[in-house]
Amino acid sequence: MTPDTTVRENAGDLDSLLSRNVRVPRNVVYRTFPSETVVLNLETGKYHGLNATAGRMLEELERAACVQDAAAALAETYGQPLDVLERDLCELCQSLLARGLIEVDSGELG
Amino acid sequence: MASSAELPADRRLRASERVRLAIEILSAYRQARAALRETSIGPAVQALRTGNQTPASEPTTSLTEPAGERAKGTPQANPTTLLDDTRSPGERLSEAWRLGRAVQLTLRLAPGDTRCLTRSLVLTQLLARRSIPAKLVIGARPAPSFLAHAWVECDGHPVLPTGESSFGRLVEL
Repeated sequence: MTPDTTVRENAGDLDSLLSRNVRVPRNVVYRTFPSETVVLNLETGKYHGLNATAGRMLEELERAACVQDAAAALAETYGQPLDVLERDLCELCQSLLARGLIEVDSGELG
Repeated sequence: MASSAELPADRRLRASERVRLAIEILSAYRQARAALRETSIGPAVQALRTGNQTPASEPTTSLTEPAGERAKGTPQANPTTLLDDTRSPGERLSEAWRLGRAVQLTLRLAPGDTRCLTRSLVLTQLLARRSIPAKLVIGARPAPSFLAHAWVECDGHPVLPTGESSFGRLVEL
């Protein structure tokens, strides 16, 4: 699958992200520390910091087949309503997309 | 891994050899800075490693090469091939460590950004030109205040300072 650049353009539509698969590009590396997750974009040379929750979300996003699945897993872990996790995850995805720290595949999964 | 006792004894470089090495380091420094201006870290490492940029000088003679070898007229055109065949891992590590020290000493006097990433890129090129396998490591430390650091390792051994604090490894290039 190739990254769907239209997702970035239409990132305002949170619902459109839910069925998408998120992956970390090859030029981005990250490491989770106890206090935060440090993300390095080798393309830009910039470091980014994610708090512990966002770091956990990134790990789950990378593991899950789609954003919705990640939200379900996190909702169970944190005991939070699914819709809250979906909204939070989509907002995080928007933020990471804008910084080139994740890629979102097209909606055709599998 | 060879112990330090097994490493070849140091041979002090002659003045002319030191000058040649300093010129090579400064040339690599210029190329490293240009590479970082033109591209990102990954491609910069690759370019410096593969020698896509024309070096200003041939690699200086091996720092650990016995003096007698050169006196006998060891071919200079392609010293890395020779090193591939004759050097033990311990000798390569020893040379890498001394090159790392030479890079630090030389760049201390150079103008511009000679921080850890640049030093690591310079040493990466020097080692590649001598066919000494090395990894450029980038690490970070989030607390108490964020700090990132780069260094070079040969065979898992750092040949540039890894920093005062414990940096978590982010990537090896």
